[in-house]
Amino acid sequence: MVFAELVQYVVTGLLVGGVYALMSIGLGLIFGVMRVVNFAQGDFMMLGMYVTYFYAVAGSIDPLVGALLAVPPFFVLGWIVHRLLLARVTGGDPGRQHDAQLILTLGLSLVITNATTMILTPTPRGIRTSYATQAFAVGPVLLNQARSYAFVMALVLAGLVYLFLTRTDLGRALRAAADDPEAASYQAIDVRTMHGLAFGVGIALVAAAGGLLATYYPIEPNVAGNFIVLMFVAVVLGGLGSIPGAFVGGILIGLVQSLTLLVLPFQLQNTGVFVAFLLVLYLRPQGLFGRRARTV
Amino acid sequence: MKRSLSRMLIVALALALVVPVLFMGQAPAADDVKIALVAPLSGRWARQGQLKKMGADMAIEEINGQGGIKALGGARIVLREADAGDSVEKAVSAAQRVLTREKISAGIGSWLSSFTLGVTEVAERLQVPWLSLSYADSITERGFKYTFQTSPVSSLQAEQALDLVTDLAKKNNRPIKKAGIVGDNTAASMFFYKPLREKLLAAKGIELVVDDVWTPPLADATAIVQKLRSTQPDIVFYGATNFPDSIQVLQKIKEFSVKSPIQGVGAWLVTPEYVKTVGKDTLDNIQTVVAAHPMKGQEELVKKFKQRTGEPFMTQDPLCTYAHVWLIKEAIEQAKSADPKAIRDALAKIDILSGPAVSAFYPPRVRFDERGRRIGATPLIVQWQDGEPYTVVPIAVATRPIAWHR
Repeated sequence: MVFAELVQYVVTGLLVGGVYALMSIGLGLIFGVMRVVNFAQGDFMMLGMYVTYFYAVAGSIDPLVGALLAVPPFFVLGWIVHRLLLARVTGGDPGRQHDAQLILTLGLSLVITNATTMILTPTPRGIRTSYATQAFAVGPVLLNQARSYAFVMALVLAGLVYLFLTRTDLGRALRAAADDPEAASYQAIDVRTMHGLAFGVGIALVAAAGGLLATYYPIEPNVAGNFIVLMFVAVVLGGLGSIPGAFVGGILIGLVQSLTLLVLPFQLQNTGVFVAFLLVLYLRPQGLFGRRARTV
Repeated sequence: MKRSLSRMLIVALALALVVPVLFMGQAPAADDVKIALVAPLSGRWARQGQLKKMGADMAIEEINGQGGIKALGGARIVLREADAGDSVEKAVSAAQRVLTREKISAGIGSWLSSFTLGVTEVAERLQVPWLSLSYADSITERGFKYTFQTSPVSSLQAEQALDLVTDLAKKNNRPIKKAGIVGDNTAASMFFYKPLREKLLAAKGIELVVDDVWTPPLADATAIVQKLRSTQPDIVFYGATNFPDSIQVLQKIKEFSVKSPIQGVGAWLVTPEYVKTVGKDTLDNIQTVVAAHPMKGQEELVKKFKQRTGEPFMTQDPLCTYAHVWLIKEAIEQAKSADPKAIRDALAKIDILSGPAVSAFYPPRVRFDERGRRIGATPLIVQWQDGEPYTVVPIAVATRPIAWHR
C-alpha cells in the first residue's frame, strides 16, 4: 500500500511536470536563441488557453486537437510581435539592450493581461471534457486521463522540436545563430529571421501547452501568474538556453512538487521546489544541462 | 527638426485624446456623495470584485433614480472604485489612494478577509466608516471605531455549520464520526477551521482524519483527494477560495468517486461558472455556509438583478454590496450630513428593520454592537440543486428544502 502510494505520487508528479516541461521549452528556446527573458510568456499561454476554449465552444473542437490548432496562429503572432516590437531591442549591444527587453516584455505582459480582463471579463471559463474527471487505473494507481493525454502530447511536441533543431537545416541554422550570431551571419544565416523563427516557435509551444492545460484547468486572464515563476525555475534549473534542460527542469518541478508532500505539509509544497532549485544552483551554477557557453 | 516637430504633434494629439478621458466621470457636482468600493477588480479574485460592483451599481442607480439622498436635498451617490488587486499590499495602497485623493463619505470592501484587514486599517486612520462582508473574526477584534461587519464571523459560521450538519446526518441515520478539513490558508477560511480543530469537533466526539491546507495556487489535488478516498470522512469542511484550486479538487473528487458530503465556507463556492466548468451533477448537494443569499420573498430583486446583469442567479457578493450602499444611504439620511464622522456615528446607532438596506441580511435587522459587528447576524446555508444554489437553511427563508448526501 505504501509503495502504491509512492508510485501514485511519482506518477502524479510526472504528469503535472509534463505540461510544465512544454511550457518551459518555449521560454528556453527564446532565451537560448535571442537571449531575451520573456516575461510575457505566461500571458501567451493564457491566450492559447482562450483560443482553445473558443475552438471548443464555437467549433466543438476537442481541446486536445484545439491545442495543436493553436500552434499556427500563435507562430504567426509570435513572428509579428518579434517584427514589430522585439526586433527593435535585440541584435545590438547586449548590455544596453537588456533593460529595454525586460521593460518591453514586462509591459507586454501587463497589456495582454489587462486587455484580456477588459475584453473577456475576469469571469473564469472552463472546457468541460469527460476525460478531466476520469482516470486510467493501473493496479491501485490512477492516472488522470486529461493529464495523461496532455503529458503524451507534450512529449510528442517536445520531441518534434528536438528533431527540428537537430535534424533540419533550418534547425541547425537556428542553433548556429544562437551559438554565435556573428559567425552565423558570415555563413549567410539571417540572424534576425532566426530570432523571429525562435520567438514564433517559442510562443506557439507555450500556446499549445496552454491548450493542453485547458483540458483540466480553468481559464482566466490572470492564470499566467500561477505558472510563470515555475517556468522560469524550470528553465534556470535545466540550464539557461538548453532545450533538453528546460524539458527536464519542467518534469523535475512536477516531481518535486508532488514528492514534497510526502514529507512536508501542503502549505510548503513549493518550498520543496525552491530548495531543490537552490541546491542545484549551488552545486551546479550553470544548471543541469547548461554549459559555460550557452547553447540550444 | 522636421522629426521633432512631428513628435511634438504626436504628443499633443495623444494628450488631446487622453486628458479629457482622465477627467471624464471625475467631475461630479459639488454636493454629490462619494462612496469608495475597494475590491479585487484584477487578479485571481477579480470575478468577486466584478460581482460586488454589480450590486453597488444597482443600488446607486435605484437611489439616484428615486431622488437621491433626501436629507441632503437630493444629493446623488457616486461610486469611486479602486482595484484591490491580488495582494494585501495592493489592496492597502488602493484604499490609501482612493481615500486621500478626494473626500469620501464611506467605503465598502474588500471581499477577501485578508484584504479587509489591511484596508480597514487605512479607513480607521483616515476616519472613514467602512462596511465589509468579510468573515474573519479579527476584523472586528481590534477595537476599531470605523469598521462595520455585517456578516456573521467565521468562528460562529463554523459552529452553526457543524451543528447543522451533525443534526442532518443524525436524522438521515449517518452520524458524523470522521471529518476532514480541506482548503486554502486565506484569513476567513483559517478562522473557520480554527475552532473546528481546537474544540468544536472534539466536543462532538468527531475525529479529524484529513487536515490539508495550502497556499494558493494549488499545483495538483491528487494527494488531497487520495487522502479523502482512503479515510472517507463523513463530512468535509471545504475552503478553496481560489477558483482553479477548487475546480481541481472537485474534478478529482469526481474522478476518485469520493462520496463524502461537502460543507463549504463562503460564497465563492456558488458562482455561476462552477456549473459551466464541472457540471451540475458534480455540484449536486454540495452546500456552503454564507453570510447572504437570496431568500424567500426576494424574487423581484433577483429578477431585476438578472435582467440588469445577465447573470444566471444572484449571490452573496452583489447582494451584500447592494445592501451596503443602501445602508450608507440610510446612515446619511439619519446623520443629515455627508461627513464621514457623522455617518460613522449614525451607523453605530442605526437600527433598521425593513427596506433594501436590510435585504441581504438574516435576520432582517441591522444594528451594530460596540465592536462594529451586526447584532444577531446568522449565516445561511446554500445548497447546489439542479445546477443552481438555493437557500436551504434557515427553513423560514429557504427557497428549497435541504437534501442530504448524494
